[in-house]
Amino acid sequence: MSHQLLLSLLLLAPVLGFFINGFNFSSTKAIAVGTLGTLCSFISFICSLGLVLKLGGLPEDQRRLTVEFFNWLQVADLKIGFSFIVDQISAVMILIITGIGTLIHLFSVGYMSHDLRPAKYFAYLNLFLFNMLLLVLSDNLLLMFVGWEGVGLCSYLLIGFWFSDPAKASAGMKAFITNRIGDVGFLIGMFILFFQFGTLNFVEILSRLPAVAELGWTGPITLSCLALFIGATGKSAQIPLYVWLPDAMAGPTPVSALIHAATMVTAGVYMIVRLSGLFVLAPNVMMLIAVVGAATALFAALIGLTQWDIKKVLAYSTVSQLGYMFLAVGVGAFGGAMFHLMTHAFFKALMFLGSGSVIHAMHEEQDIRKMGGLAKKLPMTHATFLVGWLAIIGFPFLSGFFSKDEILWSVYASPNGHPLLWFIGVCGAGCTAFYMTRLMALTFWGKSRVPKEIHPHESPLVMTFPLIILAFFALTIGWVGVPHILASVLPGHIPNVFEHWLEPVVPKLSFIGKSSLLEWALMGISVSVAGLCAWLAFDFYIVHKERPKSFVLKMGKLYQFVSHKFYVDEFYKQRILDPLIEGSTALWAYVDVNFIDRLTYFIADFTVSAGAGLKSIQNGQTQQYALYILLGLVTTITWILVG
Amino acid sequence: MQNIEAIGIGQNHYLILSAIIFSIGIMGVLFRKNIIMMLMSLELMLNAINLTFIAFGYFNGNLNGQIMVFFVMTLAAAEAAIGLAIAVMIYRKFNEVNIRYFEQMKG
Amino acid sequence: MSTFIISNLWFYVLALSLIFFAFKVVTSANPIHSALHLVLTMMGVAGLFFHLNAQFIAGVQVIVYAGAVMVLFVMVLMLFDLKHEFNAFAKGLVSGFLKLMSVALVVGYLVGVFLESGESKGVKASLTTSGDQTSTQLQVTRDLAQLLYTKYVLVFEVLGVLLLVVAIGAVAISRIQGGTHAKH
Repeated sequence: MSHQLLLSLLLLAPVLGFFINGFNFSSTKAIAVGTLGTLCSFISFICSLGLVLKLGGLPEDQRRLTVEFFNWLQVADLKIGFSFIVDQISAVMILIITGIGTLIHLFSVGYMSHDLRPAKYFAYLNLFLFNMLLLVLSDNLLLMFVGWEGVGLCSYLLIGFWFSDPAKASAGMKAFITNRIGDVGFLIGMFILFFQFGTLNFVEILSRLPAVAELGWTGPITLSCLALFIGATGKSAQIPLYVWLPDAMAGPTPVSALIHAATMVTAGVYMIVRLSGLFVLAPNVMMLIAVVGAATALFAALIGLTQWDIKKVLAYSTVSQLGYMFLAVGVGAFGGAMFHLMTHAFFKALMFLGSGSVIHAMHEEQDIRKMGGLAKKLPMTHATFLVGWLAIIGFPFLSGFFSKDEILWSVYASPNGHPLLWFIGVCGAGCTAFYMTRLMALTFWGKSRVPKEIHPHESPLVMTFPLIILAFFALTIGWVGVPHILASVLPGHIPNVFEHWLEPVVPKLSFIGKSSLLEWALMGISVSVAGLCAWLAFDFYIVHKERPKSFVLKMGKLYQFVSHKFYVDEFYKQRILDPLIEGSTALWAYVDVNFIDRLTYFIADFTVSAGAGLKSIQNGQTQQYALYILLGLVTTITWILVG
Repeated sequence: MQNIEAIGIGQNHYLILSAIIFSIGIMGVLFRKNIIMMLMSLELMLNAINLTFIAFGYFNGNLNGQIMVFFVMTLAAAEAAIGLAIAVMIYRKFNEVNIRYFEQMKG
Repeated sequence: MSTFIISNLWFYVLALSLIFFAFKVVTSANPIHSALHLVLTMMGVAGLFFHLNAQFIAGVQVIVYAGAVMVLFVMVLMLFDLKHEFNAFAKGLVSGFLKLMSVALVVGYLVGVFLESGESKGVKASLTTSGDQTSTQLQVTRDLAQLLYTKYVLVFEVLGVLLLVVAIGAVAISRIQGGTHAKH
């Protein structure tokens, strides 16, 4: 099959699913519409497998498949085609998106089986899939922006899926608006890039770059990278635009798994990796990215320590892990960021789906203070969730261990890295271990605090099957990216497949002069920190249950501050939103009502009075009318004779 | 009366005459307040028109003018009939035929 | 020469009396007087028709116009009680001025156009023109009929329908509600 056909099918299958389910949006046959949605997603997965296999068959330096469907825009110098590019980076992304997407579709068939509008749900999911594929496969910034906006739209639609609850609807709005604020940055970045390079095509931009990096903050490359990064903070929930992600947990849990763990939030990382050649020429922006990433990683992890909603814990965990990805990108470890993106997609989607299974079993109860001892009642869910937990805390030889360690090593050893950043990363890893263990302990282990009226039972196979598959990958996918020092001591020389795969397209990070001893030492430190924090959490929540309370009492105000999410939402509301609303109200009262409405009324009154004045010509006297006719005749003849 | 060698009386004479009568008719329509008077002035105008047609027909040497007069005369008679019927109805209802009482179509 | 004088004189006498009578039509206070003057005007016009070789039309004018239409007018005038209708002239200085001015302008234009057009068909075009019919005195009616029933037959038929409609319409307008035996 030609790659054009594969690509067309890849993109068309979700569109078809969207339209068919969309036209039937009021249907309540969950299994039928769910099967259709899953099938379309599965077709996309097969096509992406085919494309990646095709790509693999090409020689290393020519691994790029391009397809142009039609010429979309051509205005003066700007030529934008509806064209797509499949290379090493997008290959990784499409496999993740369609593979995990299919599993989540399958899970949703079970999860949404009692919902009122399953057809709408699956239509939106397919639309999301299409937009995300558009984002990662497009070969120019404008088409990518179309996908960027599209996933933002689908995120809004899916978060606010149960819109009859105003809190959920406003969560959707918050997500959309915060995304939009970031999108302004993306647009400005696009403008600057076009102005500077005359094209928005990725390949062309990367071929027109200067050879030396820019210094200072005012060069065009620096400014455009800064603007693009602002867009990425909106989409990928970094400081300062992360506030939508915890609220986005109002949507159905599979949505959180797909959009807010595996795919949409990784769009920012993908964009920066795609333009990695551009970003390395703006070292100041890279430093900013690294600092923001590290700060977000620690910040979100701290908040996650104090949350009681199972999904909110996972949400803050996502924000924190995204911070790690940005940290990696900021120090130049683009490959490491992509690797962590992949492993995180698997274990975070696994844990979100697992939490969905738990919530389903607990009849929509999400407070972990009311759970406990669910390991016996939900064995499959517990087993898979366990795998995810071990992966995220970095248990050796699971996937999270390889990716997180690669990032931490790059942060310490890269020319753009800094030990302080490494330290923050390790602290964040420790917090991650603590709060994830806390989550496990309070949800699955220990004595049951489940209220008497709820009888949790294991979820059906349609929901546990995706969990098993994801758990398998969370266990094993790490082995595609084994770092060299480990490969040298393990039996059988395992190559770092992932790094090798991405080598032609991402800038290489050089660790000249760093000893492997240092690497071993750092690895050992991070693993032991994680293990220590995990044991600490186990102690606090299973063995000595009174310790958390006394700790909180000792911390007092600090605990309050952290558990209220550092009062960031309140700060935004007080300093940004309220002044805006006041200003708008003032504008309305003074400008709109006073000037514009007055002007409109004046014009209306003028018309009416003019009409009334002209009305007096028609006075009902026949002879006057005859006179008017005569006058008209005279005027016409005069005109003809004179003119 | 045939073969009139109209050295002095030409087409223009008739046309000017009919223009004068026509304008007198217009003045009647404009100045008289009685409905019947207005209708009579209208008849005057139509007569002037007839004169014009015949004059043109005569001085162009064909009978088309006379045919037109046929039609105009028929129409004038029909219109006078209906107009008078309406005038009678108005008188019957309002007991007035002065149009200064009939200005209801204003505004 | 004498024919010249007589025919010219004939025209001028008729024309001047026509203008005089027309003026009296418009300016008479008594509507009955206006009607009578209108009859005289129509007779004058018929005389001019004779002059212009339209004898049939002249006859029709006398019979239909002066004989039927004017009788109708006088009949209706008799129906009204018009003692207080004398001097029913339009008042108003400005509008009157405007009316006079516009009428004068119209007349002036027409006359001017006629005089300036340059082609005064003084000499009557030849009677034997190839156009439509020639006309000797007795042949006028026949030629008229021939034109009417061949070239203008459609208009003729339409006029027939029109007269039918007018007849019905006049009755319909002025009937009393309820038929002949109903009360007024």
